[in-house]
Amino acid sequence: MKLTDFLRPEFCVVDLKANNKETAIRELTSVLSSSGKVNNQEDFIKHIMERERLGSTGIGNRVAIPHAPTQSVNGLVVAFGRSINGIDFQSLDGDEVNLIFLLGTNPDNLGIYLKFLASLSRLLNNLQFREEFMAADSADSIIEVLKKHEKG
Amino acid sequence: MIKNIVVSVSGSPDSLMAAKYAICLARVMQTKLFVVYVTDFKVLGELLKSRIFVEAEARAYERDLNQQGVVFLDRIKKMAESKAVACETFLLKGSVSDEVIAKVQEVSADLLVMGEMKELTSRCAIFYDEGERIFRKSPCSVVMVKNHAMVDNLYKEIE
Repeated sequence: MKLTDFLRPEFCVVDLKANNKETAIRELTSVLSSSGKVNNQEDFIKHIMERERLGSTGIGNRVAIPHAPTQSVNGLVVAFGRSINGIDFQSLDGDEVNLIFLLGTNPDNLGIYLKFLASLSRLLNNLQFREEFMAADSADSIIEVLKKHEKG
Repeated sequence: MIKNIVVSVSGSPDSLMAAKYAICLARVMQTKLFVVYVTDFKVLGELLKSRIFVEAEARAYERDLNQQGVVFLDRIKKMAESKAVACETFLLKGSVSDEVIAKVQEVSADLLVMGEMKELTSRCAIFYDEGERIFRKSPCSVVMVKNHAMVDNLYKEIE
């Protein structure tokens, strides 16, 4: 499974306008509407926010991975947003986040979803990967960085 | 002579094909079929450790994955029975490769059937791929099932 099979340039926002967690989640779910896989955006947001209430998905290193299984999407959907100024995600380390990966999956696709999250988590442990993601100047560049690091 | 066949399934379309092929083999060879579905605790543990999941969330996924396993195994069992193949199913949890290999050894399987392994994207992916581990660690011969159309036809041909 390739991460780039799911994260495509049109689902990448290189400069998020949002300045808080909820608006960032709204901005990223809205870019996924063009995927044709989101059948109820408000319900999708509701599930993502419900998951955030269990505990922040700001995992440290200025990264957040809001996610949820929901019937509001078909298959697996992934969007990426970069906030230059940083967004308060109530992260465990207290830092604001710059890199936000938003995922949603239909409950029928849990296996692929878990594998995607695990692969992404491994890449995000790599400081160089995070720095290159932060420095990329376009959606295409972001995908190129992802492809490069996926190859290992 | 082949007496026992194990098929490893995950609920994916590839593993469904593996199950169909294993049913065909078991029928033709008059062997018993053992179907193994493993809820991947390893990946859940990894996501907990990386703090992407919280405990309650991981437990919820565990329940959902188990439930999907029950449904999928029930489906395979009915398919096997419809082809007059003796079939036993196992819903296990843990590391997929460790559990599948343990079951292969426990039932003294002569043949392990598994779904198609997709091309790996990186050297790193080889390290984490459970299919790769099963393939390499299996004490018996392994059949990797490809060509869904051919398998579907074969399955339909068996009365």
